Amino acid sequence: MRIAIFAFALSLTLCTLTDPAGARPKPTTHTVTIEGMKFQPEALAVAVGDIVVWVNKDLVPHTATASKAGIFDSKLIEPDNSWTLIVRTQGDFDYVCTYHPTMKATLRVE
Amino acid sequence: MKVSAIIIAGLLCLTPAALSAQTVSDAQIASIVVTANQVDIDAGKLATSKATNPEIKKFGQQMVTDHTGVNKQATALVTKLKVTPEDNATSQSLKAGGDKNIANLKSLKGAEFDKAYIDNEVTYHQAVIDAIDKTLVPSAQNAELKALLVKVRPAFVAHLEHAKMIQSSLGK
Repeated sequence: MRIAIFAFALSLTLCTLTDPAGARPKPTTHTVTIEGMKFQPEALAVAVGDIVVWVNKDLVPHTATASKAGIFDSKLIEPDNSWTLIVRTQGDFDYVCTYHPTMKATLRVE
Repeated sequence: MKVSAIIIAGLLCLTPAALSAQTVSDAQIASIVVTANQVDIDAGKLATSKATNPEIKKFGQQMVTDHTGVNKQATALVTKLKVTPEDNATSQSLKAGGDKNIANLKSLKGAEFDKAYIDNEVTYHQAVIDAIDKTLVPSAQNAELKALLVKVRPAFVAHLEHAKMIQSSLGK
């Protein structure tokens, strides 16, 4: 019986160590709140595969648009609405609200 | 007389010096907020149709969008609070200043229009921010109304900064 338990435990351990899928961390969901004409937090670090949700809690519409073309663009986010991005590209990305050029933030993807 | 000076004079009615003679009620604040937004919506609509500089056209459109959004929230709140906006000397002065600005802008075209529009936007937004800080927020009795005024302020600041950016880029 003890050998069986040991064998089972050993095989479980080996599975976790050798199986990449078992070792990969679950994606984390991050929230960026848009309020008071600001992205909060203004600097966010995430991992590839993570989810970022921009929630517009402000009185006016906004966007979350990467300065580098083609990376991400929420287009219009109305007040009380949100936009979700599954992050796929590594890098440091400055982004803005295209309606309000004074609104800037960065997304660091590791 | 410069139109923006009329608007500032209207808002200056609310300076601390004048306050000993006058207090602003929540109903009057509601009227001032709605009027202040509407004045900028009207000017913004004119800019979207008349401006030559694409940045100014875009800015005008943004003023319409943003101030309409703020007015929607302000109206919803005062309706919920059962506060009826009460017309007053300041809201009337704002409206008069706004009408004069529109009349002046309608007489202009091309680069002259663009400059006059954006110059007025800079002056106007600064005056409204000052009124929010010095009078509207300190006077507001209802906590939700006060919170809305505080929440609105960053939008006006962002507009002011954006207008200044465009203003300094003109003629370059």
